[in-house]
Amino acid sequence: MRRELSAGWRLKVSALLVSSLVGGLLAGGLCGSIGMLCYRLRLMTMAFAMAHAALAGSALALAAGSEATSTAMILALATAMVLGPLADRFGIPLDLMSMILFSTYNALTFIFIVLSPGPALMTESVGQLLWGSILAIRPGYIAALSAAVLASAVFLALFWGRINPILFDPRLAEAEGVNVKLYRYAILLLAGVITTLALRLTGGFLVFSLLYLPAASSLQLQSSMKKLVLSAWAIGSASAAAGLGLSFLLDLPAGSCIAIAAAIIFLGSAAYSRMRAWSGIEGP
Amino acid sequence: MGRYAVELESVSTYYYGEKRPAIRDVSLRIPAGSLALITGPNGAGKTTLLETIIGILRARRGRVRVLGYEVPREAAKVRRMTSYVPQDFMKPPAEPFTAREVAAMGLSSMRPLGQLTKADWNRVDQVLELLGMSECSEKPFGKLSGGQQQKIMIARALVRDPKLLLLDEPFSAVDRESRRLISRRIFPKLLNGGCTILFVSHHPEPDLLEPDIVVELEEGAIRGVAAQGVRASC
Repeated sequence: MRRELSAGWRLKVSALLVSSLVGGLLAGGLCGSIGMLCYRLRLMTMAFAMAHAALAGSALALAAGSEATSTAMILALATAMVLGPLADRFGIPLDLMSMILFSTYNALTFIFIVLSPGPALMTESVGQLLWGSILAIRPGYIAALSAAVLASAVFLALFWGRINPILFDPRLAEAEGVNVKLYRYAILLLAGVITTLALRLTGGFLVFSLLYLPAASSLQLQSSMKKLVLSAWAIGSASAAAGLGLSFLLDLPAGSCIAIAAAIIFLGSAAYSRMRAWSGIEGP
Repeated sequence: MGRYAVELESVSTYYYGEKRPAIRDVSLRIPAGSLALITGPNGAGKTTLLETIIGILRARRGRVRVLGYEVPREAAKVRRMTSYVPQDFMKPPAEPFTAREVAAMGLSSMRPLGQLTKADWNRVDQVLELLGMSECSEKPFGKLSGGQQQKIMIARALVRDPKLLLLDEPFSAVDRESRRLISRRIFPKLLNGGCTILFVSHHPEPDLLEPDIVVELEEGAIRGVAAQGVRASC
């Protein structure tokens, strides 16, 4: 009886590890590649504000006892839609407007957490919201991530020829007749969906590390646009998988472990790039 | 398209938050198939004029009509027939596109989903060869010299086979031999094919460029317009 129970648990743990790995690979890859596009389009601070909108949305759902992902996604996407018009209305740069919203969302997050039922900052759901959890990875979550991967791949494959001139010089692309606003919003909406999904894995405070760090690592290693996006995907996946493994082994928060793994990969790629430069090999 | 490629009537354009217009009360008609030189000191409004014509900047007052279309309402149609070489073209060494890819981007806005055919790539290669840039075509754009980058931007404009070519200080970094090639061989071909060229320069070279019209701007207003030659409109 004791042996059967132990075997059952082993099976459960294995299933949890496999689904964590799959979820991590998908979420990390998505964040890495969309992060690279956001970097090239100078949308990083907007993506940062959207990630915190998703966090505030999740906290609101926690306080209200409603479904977290949809609330987070609504707030993230609404942020993407209103950031530009708000910046225009107040006559301030988009980056500054993003930071204003970021501060507001952080404040709201803490208020919603304090208002959530039970002792604040001590429940498992609050912990999962703030620093992520491998327990968040369930079949429905992997299905949602797979759908996001498919949507991103189709979007990029279909419109790569249109997106390239925008990545090079958005103003010139606009002068040549490309609908720059449409593509920027499409990428921003994609970033909103992806950060909302990744938030469950990494937690709200560290989701942007999967946007920034793989993109920064990729820039150390690659020189063509296509390779930059693909390598950011691979590095994001590797960071998430390594981080989840660490989290499982050391019983530490998933989000922190993923961010640390991504930072270590960045240091490694930066060192590799410098070594290439010293040895006279032309770098990216 | 009528007799004029570009028609501006009492146009004033303001930058966001500015109370003073960057160009004010500008009225101008550029005949189709002509070469117009737009000159004036720094800050005269030359770039603003070009960007108002193409609809990147919106005129707050007046009427802009380009290639028979109202701008900005029908700017998308105008832009498909127009090429623009901006003044600020320099990119850092880490730019992740090759020279050939950058030149080809000129065609992607004119093709369904931005997908280029083999014939499109052949056209890109022909234009690069015409400008003497074939050897640089696979080099990263950001690692080219300023003059080479500028020639790639000109190639990007030419591959589009434009009806209207807007050039903002296009020779600022280009060597004299290339300036001669573009002015003496490429411009006449374009003009004979019915293209209208607006060439912005604060330091024109009379021995290279033979404009049909010279527009002089100062402090956002037209100081003078001189029709210098007679070139048949095609």
